[in-house]
Amino acid sequence: MKSNIFSLLFLTATILFLGCSKELDTTPYSNIDQNNALKTSSDVEGLLVGSYADLGATDLYGGGAFVTADLLADFNEISWSGTYQGMTQIKNKAIPVDNAFTQDTWTEAYKAINDVNNVLSALSVVTAAKKDKVEGEAKFIRACIYFELVRLYAKAWNDGNPAANDGVPIKLTPTVELSGSADQLLRDKVSVVYAQVIKDLTEAEALLPESNGFFATNASAAGMLARVYLQKGDYANARDAADRVIESGNYKLTQANADDIIEEFLYTRAKAEDNTTEDIFAIQVTTTAGVNTFQTFYSELGRNDISIKDAHYDLYEPDDLRLNLISSDGYVTKFDNVYGNVHIIRLSEMYLIRAEANFRSNTTTGAEPVDDINMVRERAGLDALAAVTLADILKERKIELSFEGFNLHDIKRLGVSTGYFTGGGGLPFDSPKLIFPIPKRDILVNPNLSQNEGY
Amino acid sequence: MKKISFYLVFGILCANIVLAQTREITGKVTDAKDGAGLSGVTVSGKNDQSSTITGTDGTFTLKISSKTTAVIFSYVGYKTTEVKINDGQANIALVQGDNQLAEVVVVGYGTKIRRDVTGSIAKVAAKELNNTPVTSFESAIQGRAAGVLVSQQNGKLGQGINIRIRGSASVTAGNEPLYVIDGIPLQNTDLSGNGATTNSLADININDIESIEILKDASAAAIYGSRGSNGVVLITTKKGKAGKSKIEFGYYTGTQKPTGKREFLNAKEYVDYFTQAAAGAAAQDTIGSNGSYLYEDALIDEMDYLNSRLTRYSAGNEDWKTQKVNTNWQDQAFQDAPISQYDLNFSGGTDKTTFYMGGQYLDQTGIVRRNSLKRYSGRLNLEHKVRDWLSVGVNMSFARTFNKRVSNDNAFSTPLQIVALSPITPLIDPRTGLTSGALDLNTGNPNTNYPVYYNPVLSVENTKYNTVVNRTIGNLFASANIAKGLTFRTEFGMDQLNQNEDNFAGRLTARNQGVPNGAGYNSSDQILNVNTNNFLRYVTTFGQASDFDVVAGTSFQKYQLTSNSASAEEFPSDSYKKLSAGASKTAATSSATDWALLSYFARANYKFKDRYLLSVSGRYDGSSRFGANNRYGFFPAVSVGWIMSDEEFLKNSTWLSFLKLKASYGLTGNSEISNYASRGLYGANAYGGFGGQVPTQLPNPDLKWESTASLDVGIEASVIDKRVTIEVDYYQRQTRDLLLSVNVPSTTGFLSKIQNVGKLENKGVEFTINSANVVTKNFRWSTNLNFAANRNKITNLGGQQIGTLNRAQEGEPLGVFYAKEFAGADPANGDALYVRNSLNSDGSKDRTTTNDVNEAADVRIGNPNPDFIYGFGNTFTYKGLDLDVLLQGVSGNDIFNGGGQYMSASGSNGFDNQTRDQLNAWKKPGDITMVPEARLFYANGTDNSSRYISDGSYLRVKAITLGYNLSPKLLSALHIDRARFYVRAQNLFTITKYKGWDPEVNADYQATNIDQGVDFYSAPQLKTIVFGINIGL
Repeated sequence: MKSNIFSLLFLTATILFLGCSKELDTTPYSNIDQNNALKTSSDVEGLLVGSYADLGATDLYGGGAFVTADLLADFNEISWSGTYQGMTQIKNKAIPVDNAFTQDTWTEAYKAINDVNNVLSALSVVTAAKKDKVEGEAKFIRACIYFELVRLYAKAWNDGNPAANDGVPIKLTPTVELSGSADQLLRDKVSVVYAQVIKDLTEAEALLPESNGFFATNASAAGMLARVYLQKGDYANARDAADRVIESGNYKLTQANADDIIEEFLYTRAKAEDNTTEDIFAIQVTTTAGVNTFQTFYSELGRNDISIKDAHYDLYEPDDLRLNLISSDGYVTKFDNVYGNVHIIRLSEMYLIRAEANFRSNTTTGAEPVDDINMVRERAGLDALAAVTLADILKERKIELSFEGFNLHDIKRLGVSTGYFTGGGGLPFDSPKLIFPIPKRDILVNPNLSQNEGY
Repeated sequence: MKKISFYLVFGILCANIVLAQTREITGKVTDAKDGAGLSGVTVSGKNDQSSTITGTDGTFTLKISSKTTAVIFSYVGYKTTEVKINDGQANIALVQGDNQLAEVVVVGYGTKIRRDVTGSIAKVAAKELNNTPVTSFESAIQGRAAGVLVSQQNGKLGQGINIRIRGSASVTAGNEPLYVIDGIPLQNTDLSGNGATTNSLADININDIESIEILKDASAAAIYGSRGSNGVVLITTKKGKAGKSKIEFGYYTGTQKPTGKREFLNAKEYVDYFTQAAAGAAAQDTIGSNGSYLYEDALIDEMDYLNSRLTRYSAGNEDWKTQKVNTNWQDQAFQDAPISQYDLNFSGGTDKTTFYMGGQYLDQTGIVRRNSLKRYSGRLNLEHKVRDWLSVGVNMSFARTFNKRVSNDNAFSTPLQIVALSPITPLIDPRTGLTSGALDLNTGNPNTNYPVYYNPVLSVENTKYNTVVNRTIGNLFASANIAKGLTFRTEFGMDQLNQNEDNFAGRLTARNQGVPNGAGYNSSDQILNVNTNNFLRYVTTFGQASDFDVVAGTSFQKYQLTSNSASAEEFPSDSYKKLSAGASKTAATSSATDWALLSYFARANYKFKDRYLLSVSGRYDGSSRFGANNRYGFFPAVSVGWIMSDEEFLKNSTWLSFLKLKASYGLTGNSEISNYASRGLYGANAYGGFGGQVPTQLPNPDLKWESTASLDVGIEASVIDKRVTIEVDYYQRQTRDLLLSVNVPSTTGFLSKIQNVGKLENKGVEFTINSANVVTKNFRWSTNLNFAANRNKITNLGGQQIGTLNRAQEGEPLGVFYAKEFAGADPANGDALYVRNSLNSDGSKDRTTTNDVNEAADVRIGNPNPDFIYGFGNTFTYKGLDLDVLLQGVSGNDIFNGGGQYMSASGSNGFDNQTRDQLNAWKKPGDITMVPEARLFYANGTDNSSRYISDGSYLRVKAITLGYNLSPKLLSALHIDRARFYVRAQNLFTITKYKGWDPEVNADYQATNIDQGVDFYSAPQLKTIVFGINIGL
């Protein structure tokens, strides 16, 4: 009797257990399946927002890609006293192929590119009214990243033949699953990457609206286009693109406050702030999302790893209000707000591009070069100049955009050495040491990827 | 064979016939040690089918055939003894068996006698574990079991402990064993919020543990199927015994100290050294200036810079010139660390009910400042016979662990990073009268650039990081005898854990936190881990010679974790520490995750003639973690044993008491990967206040088990009148279909994907010798020696190379160190040199040196895996005195000093104080030294290289206990049953060549399967001395 009861019990238990197999079908709580991720227009718009977040990654447009570029270009303008050995290696122009920072910029870049490639592949579900905007933003993001990659990881446009020099691999389709050797891309040539960047930006400028909150606008695309054309020495196109931004009338230079601090870089407390009137495109940082890597390394409130040496001070005229952006201890205060937005394109850069491009082309599109330069100077509390030389324009650019990631790329496009602005010396613009290595991790998994000279 | 069948049939037929002529005998069984009645002793007639079990007082009544002349008494842990029946009476005082063969060993879903075990199982018993003055029981088994490598990451309390049983079986999936307590699998989730793992096994009271069995080979572990590959640790808690109820009280108290310290520069050496480093840097400054920057100018600039920095770090004055201040910062990392533990437990029972009830309070202060752990716990184990065929019971425990934690090793605020501060920096800033770094008079805020780094003392004074864990582990069980030999057991268990982390960092930590007005963090996690086991066991004997023991059943486990956390900043003052007071809420999250495992298992043991052993087992597991294509896996195992010493040709051997040969082969699995690893996933992020989503994981619907095929052959022997027992095992474990995080080209937008790629193997030998060296009435001396050597090798990674410094790489053991081969300073100019080690065209290696680190190839510079590990224990008893000495060691492993790039860097990575060996830096042309020229901020030889590798072998006096048991005479005068006083030391003394704090180290913020053996400002282990007392009533 007893045994029957228990046989029955055991049998029941076993049957119950067979029912438990359904329990093996778990569903993630915090993530969703990729097959359900892009069903509606708002899904795709959400992915676009996510792409901006990935664009703003620490070592990409969060600022890392610019901080490392400035360290690499430095010749006795700054002291590095940080503990991140990867940064020390970059400052010393002795970058091992597994340097963490040069690797992270690369991997973060392609992650964001994959995001926008997914957006572009799912445009068909986007509401008609938003489709152009979404497509334009995605292409803007993609172009920005490829431009950053090609100028950091490949020879400069003016270093040899851009049609023969290896650029970076271009991928324009999303990865939804691995496809073996098809994922092992070759590096496209420098000229091909530039062409893709210009194509994306040109299309983006046409597709994007004039006003789009803090997201990319047609002026953002035009502003980036101006920067790209300038980098390849196409002054006419650079001038026209910069002119379109300025003439839109939607942006104006911020002014200095009572304490003679330029409002663009005003810091009161650690809180998220809106873009300024001068921001043509800025990465948004809030208390809960985003990072400002400039703050991390430059600010005394951050790691205060970088301080200013005399050679940099010597560039300034005594009354320059921009000297107020350097603290008494020699630290850059431009980026003191830990939740400050990362300024990517500011209006003053457009004036500087238009001035330089007009000067070089001997044209006066929009304004005389001297007037554009005076716009920038007067904001900095300096007297207007009566006339400018190319050297004046370049020096103004050097000061105005200092520590914002321009130095390396200006040195390269000007074909000068790293000490050019500070009395000469340093590495020549085409030194292989001024180019990041292709990350070792990718060379190992992709035998088709060539390494840069010197690594 | 015919004979066996005959016996089988005959046996069954006879069972009911023999009862013909019987008589009744009575008697009493006592313990020879103390004369107390022994209950539960099996009493059976010699050559007779009848048997019974003694009652609570040890008495019995047995009906036997009138022809039977003797009875046999057998009891676990005691010598089986035969007694002649005398006048219907048979009394015996049983003596405890001093060989291990009679020992009962817990196996999955049952127990076995050691003699019959065919798998490889190590056992650590209560007497070795109890009262070990450590936080978690894993520390107590260190050195006690062959082939079990226990390594604690550092000396912070309640933090990660890694256990590797017979090596690492996996590269990316988990390598920790499965823990099972009283039949219920424990969850061992790391819920730490600070990047360093915590150890959830620290919630278990060591003194509740009766025994720990470690299932090492496949035949022992395959019954746990998909989770058996890393071995299984079975924890059995104490149970009451029928007889007089006992009261036990225990207390110990003592102190703890760091096992070691490092030597750093004093103030004078520091100033001199950095002066030298500034000069070294000046020469570098001029390179590339084409003569535009002269050395003299550079030297002036560098010296100006140095002077301004030294003045800054000397609290703004020039005391550094006279070395008026000479601070030993290292001492500031440590504190006095008392430890006390209180135990009270009750146990006892009747023939129907047994109980054990225990309570404990542990109060431990850490050796690093602000670190402490308090735990109180209680347990009730109860078992009751409801009917003669039905027993029910409960094992229930609760614990509350309150851990005041410190930052992970990689944080400026972690106590040991204090050594980076300059010895010229005073503890108290004379300008403010406050802790250095607390206040910058110019700004009214904490200093941002004084001292050289954030001062960890500010975190000691201004932060709290309290982790509270409440944990309940319990199971209910019922066991029913359905028919003769057939029992059904059902178990339902729950392991429930709630954790709260409450973290607040005040204003003075701004330099560390990056926010000016206080930062708070609070998280809550809840884990519910439910498990049920239902199984039948059938034990039968056919005839005289064949014994069967069959187990079959099912098991189901479901795990759920839900978590919430929030952060806030901008507090009105440091007095407000809860997030509600923070004006800016900077983060809030809630998340959940789960998994489930459904299993069917069976095992059959067959024993023929008491000397031929066969065991077959299998488990069929289904896991939610895998894609629908490959959800289930089957894990079979078989083992055989032959007790040769029972054969005629050995039976009469005078020197050989016991000899068993055994072999096993089987398959076990590993499924320790993230819960949704097979899915293609999107995850949420945010940008500028908008919610966003992005792809986060590539799909792999074919993802399946990682499995390990293990072969084990072994010998167990006992010689010289069973006084020396020897166990030797050789094993090979081949793991295939590794659950590998495979790197993919980042141009895909992803970095890796979990795939079943690759193979690895572990091969090794283990031996254990137990010897009763001297056994006299008053003096006993016994020795245990265990030794294990494991060789781990990754045989296939699909061409992958994972990791940079620690690597997983084909043909190499897991975690092997790869970096440049350092060649010391260039005698000509003091540059750090590396051996090129690139391949010449003829295939040989280029052994020339270079100062360009990129020209040198990465080569194997060390191996974090030990060549062998061992434990050597000696126990002496003389009358009431006992002395137990355990030596433990690992040998042949290497340690990489990850902090070397800062602390032993020729002063070239900043103003970090340097280890004293840096004084040997190159100074002038012709100097031959391994320390390159000091060059301030010119990283000279700081790249990962063999410069920072050292031998990590050590031999440790792991535990010494000297105890005194009060004599029975005195005890009876005091009316107590037992009383013992002892002094116990843990980690008393370490012999090692390692120059760091302690060779047992693994940087807590980065410890993974691959990243091992790295020291990064890791707190040393604890050297503990306690005095204790145990009283039994």
